[in-house]
Amino acid sequence: MEKAISELLRKTLGNNCDVAIEGLSPIPGGFSRETFSCTALVTQGNTKEVLPLIIRKDPPEEVCILQTSRANEHELIESLRANTSVPVSRSYGYELDPSVFGSAAMVLERADGNGKTSQLFNGGPDADQAEEVMRHLCEVLVELHQADISVVDPRGILQDPREVGIRTSSWDEYMDSTFEYYLSTYDDIVYDPSSIILLDAYLTLRRKRPRPLRLSVVHGDFNPANFLYKNGKVSALIDWENSRIGDPREDLGWMTTMDILSNSHVMDYPKKEGGFISYYNKLTGWNVTKEEVDYFTLFGSANIGVPVQSAIYRRIAGEHRQFMHLYLIQSSAPAIPSMAQLLGYPGSIPNETTGVSS
Amino acid sequence: MNTTPSIDELLESLIFALGDEILPYLTNEKSQATAVMMQSVIQEIRQLLPVFDAYVAQEHNEMTKVLRDVASLVGGIDSEASLRISERGATLGAVVDVPVPENNDVNSAHRALGFALQDTLRDLDELQRKGFTVADDALDIVRSYLYPTFVRYANTVSIEGGMVGRG
Repeated sequence: MEKAISELLRKTLGNNCDVAIEGLSPIPGGFSRETFSCTALVTQGNTKEVLPLIIRKDPPEEVCILQTSRANEHELIESLRANTSVPVSRSYGYELDPSVFGSAAMVLERADGNGKTSQLFNGGPDADQAEEVMRHLCEVLVELHQADISVVDPRGILQDPREVGIRTSSWDEYMDSTFEYYLSTYDDIVYDPSSIILLDAYLTLRRKRPRPLRLSVVHGDFNPANFLYKNGKVSALIDWENSRIGDPREDLGWMTTMDILSNSHVMDYPKKEGGFISYYNKLTGWNVTKEEVDYFTLFGSANIGVPVQSAIYRRIAGEHRQFMHLYLIQSSAPAIPSMAQLLGYPGSIPNETTGVSS
Repeated sequence: MNTTPSIDELLESLIFALGDEILPYLTNEKSQATAVMMQSVIQEIRQLLPVFDAYVAQEHNEMTKVLRDVASLVGGIDSEASLRISERGATLGAVVDVPVPENNDVNSAHRALGFALQDTLRDLDELQRKGFTVADDALDIVRSYLYPTFVRYANTVSIEGGMVGRG
């Protein structure tokens, strides 16, 4: 892999440079890609440069949690770097030919900052930075959501990146086509009837839609593990593979879900502004309500639920035997009662303000 | 409760994970041996689980009978040992038999009923979209059953500490 990384860097930085790769090793970098860390020593004439790198590589297709394109991820990241101030790590390039890295892969700058965001919460060593980091995180998200889609995504690669028939010509079209996608795939991914909560969510969300909002570029996996921070600021928003055109409230809803599952408290900050949603509304003027966040908490869970359930299904069907997929059943279990509460299940904690009941 | 994956499939996955994802990266021979021992014990648990409750109950009932039968044979002997045997036969030997669990396939029946509830949800959705408000009440009946089962399941399988492998 060292040779493949060197060649990709030479293509980007210039064929006349020498590249030496050191310290290549796998790291736990989320659940969807195989992630490696290394350092490139680049020599160009008398100039020497040290590049800390991350390599994101596709796992085998049957193991893959999300079937996404490294080319699209590269293109989006470079577009964000060029057209916004959203902090992202430079992407040096990608290789789709599986004979080079063993599978499709991309090479990114390893951003400076702490990725162990759990240290910001629950009395962790960086709890004193939580207020300012979360303030900045909210500002970053707002900039992303308010970005001009035609500028960030001029070729339309984010309109239907999973190639499942999503239409983004209007908010209603987006919602209609997304529910068609959810419901048409459900029978193919249900490995156990206890997944009924997902089906109930799809059907209920389709019946009870909130007000339309302008579509945006959404991160698609905006969660407490997908940013790095340093000195009270977000140094990078990472893992853009599930980014797409969608309703901006999806990112808020998904962060709400993952806050619960990760035992973090992103949505409680910035406390001086009354929490994440309150500050988001102050910056956007969109007046996103609690009922809408509840709705998109379910909607976002449904969106990630489809590929995750599909991957677990393939594991149980014996297409592969990687362990993590079965761990996901356990680690996502706490979300199920929360989903039931948002759907207004009788006997769940009373939630008089929810707008997503039967 | 999830019946798929089964407890046996979860245990099998641990054996696979130790073999595929852990052992190849262990460089210490003692650690390698421990990993193989873990595989062996997990396999033992797989073999024990389907029969454990039945065997224990069956053996419980057989042991009480043994204590009674032995007491009836030697209880008449005039000795302290015989007296102790008789006392055991009259006390522990008299303990009432416990029911022996039958190995019937509840999981398959449970699974079929779960899918029937899914189909019911789809039909109720159709009725709701046609404006039959009584279908809202019917949906609440389904949800009233589901909620406590979801809570019990989550409480049973969840481990505190968030998601391993993420920031």
